[in-house]
Amino acid sequence: MSRRLKDFVAPTGVFLLAIIIWYLISTVVIDEGRRFLLPPPDAVVRVAFLDPVNLKDLLAGLGLSARVALTGLVLATVIGLSLATVMSQARWLEKSLFPYAVVLQTVPILALVPLFGYWFGFGFESRVLTCVLIALFPIVANALFGLQSVDPALHQLFSLHGANRLTRLWKLQLPSALPAIFTGLRISAGAAVIGAVVGDFFFQQGQPGIGQLIYIYPRRLQSEMLFAAVILASLFGLAVFWLFGLASRRVTAWHASQEPNPLSPGGNK
Amino acid sequence: MANLLTIKDLSVRYPTGTLALDGVSLSLAAGEFVAIVGPSGCGKSTLLKVAAGLLAPTEGSVAKTSDHIGFVFQDPTLLPWRSVRKNVELIGELRGMSRDDRQKAATEAIAKVGLSDFAQDRPSTLSGGMRMRASLARTLITRPELMLFDEPFGALDELTRAKLCDDVQTLFVADQFAGLLVTHSISEAVYLAERVLVMTDRPGRFAGEVPVPFDYPRPPDIRYTPEFAKTTAGVYSLLQPPSTSEDGK
Ligand SMILES: Nc1ncnc2c1ncn2[C@@H]1O[C@H](COP(=O)(O)OP(=O)(O)OP(=O)(O)O)[C@@H](O)[C@H]1O
Ligand SMILES: [Mg+2]
Repeated sequence: MSRRLKDFVAPTGVFLLAIIIWYLISTVVIDEGRRFLLPPPDAVVRVAFLDPVNLKDLLAGLGLSARVALTGLVLATVIGLSLATVMSQARWLEKSLFPYAVVLQTVPILALVPLFGYWFGFGFESRVLTCVLIALFPIVANALFGLQSVDPALHQLFSLHGANRLTRLWKLQLPSALPAIFTGLRISAGAAVIGAVVGDFFFQQGQPGIGQLIYIYPRRLQSEMLFAAVILASLFGLAVFWLFGLASRRVTAWHASQEPNPLSPGGNK
Repeated sequence: MANLLTIKDLSVRYPTGTLALDGVSLSLAAGEFVAIVGPSGCGKSTLLKVAAGLLAPTEGSVAKTSDHIGFVFQDPTLLPWRSVRKNVELIGELRGMSRDDRQKAATEAIAKVGLSDFAQDRPSTLSGGMRMRASLARTLITRPELMLFDEPFGALDELTRAKLCDDVQTLFVADQFAGLLVTHSISEAVYLAERVLVMTDRPGRFAGEVPVPFDYPRPPDIRYTPEFAKTTAGVYSLLQPPSTSEDGK
């Protein structure tokens, strides 16, 4: 029981401490004329979250960016898993496809945003495309690694009993790759959120998402709104990351990574 | 009786250049239980893999009258995301057994190895011996005609080993499969098999064969009879190099 308490009290304490430090810096350390640099937490809540008009702007921006991020992530997952599956079927397929996945990872996608704008306009599609390209590599790389890391003895077992490629994929490779796939998904989820927010920032046109709001507010000296937008964007990223963590724990409960941490004493109580 | 498995002049060279087997011949009748002992690295696992069709011979031939083979690996090789029951059903699934047959056979096989109370558990929650028994049950579910055992109990403690050994004998007597058992334990080989084949150091060849003069089922304390000791000594003398060997390892 006291462990439960510790698990709850410690994080809450750290959170409160952070808020207090924030408050102290913005009221005591910074003098009144420059307070816009770091508005105190109560001001942020009052101006941004309690004013319905402002809140509506923020939520509209967040909603758009969230739709972009999730659409991008779903597409990246479908495309990424398909690519990894194809590559796992033969060495020559992997050799001919994987380099392009690496190129994706090394090209600064965000720098290409103006190009996507020229080609596909500055709307929803281009934003989603940015997200997909950013989120694709971690999924492909991790899924491929997982599909290829199956215990050779298990492969022999499947060969012995005449399993075809599809059966092998479905009953052996995919399940045993799940932990790796979810590792990739979690990284990609974070990347997709960043892609949606920062991509939006770079687009500068079309309906404003949370990224454009973050660009606009400081120019209007609405520093409370700026902070609120940053907080919302971060919370959204956290929520997505947490959701994937939860799903991953559900799906891969059998995996060694879900055992109690051997490094923390009493962890298996 | 017709031979279930006939291996003639088998040689296997791995792509790395290692000559693992050199001119091995072996035949196994239906319902016969044969054990193979030999020094580590002499090609016993290689021989089983060739017999199972998992590895192609470099030279020589392998003929089987049945492709219905069970292979018990040294490790349990269970799928960690499946329960014991689902693991046992796996081979039935792969071999296209109907759902009903599969479930009935799984229940039966799990009961045979004494795991009925653990059927819903995941392998990671079982002891090493229990995992090995689950692996045995999985192999038995389709009632293979030929069972290949590759040091199935190598990683287990003495007591569990002896218990599992008895289980294998019981299953052999009940199911009447032909068995080919690779083991490091001479007494295990003599206890289970009708004949014991002894292999030389790499590249593996057969140094000789020792017949075992006991009927099945064999009681556990047969191990303490003089006859058993004599047979064991026969195997042991074949394992000793005939003269001073040139290379140590
Ligand atoms: N995949 C492989 N590639 C290359 N060489 C191999 C391979 N597998 C086995 N060998 C070599 O073939 C020889 C025989 O190996 P094998 O596994 O059949 O021996 P073993 O008799 O089963 O040994 P142990 O009793 O230790 O299990 C060894 O020298 C080993 O190094
Ligand atoms: Mg071996």
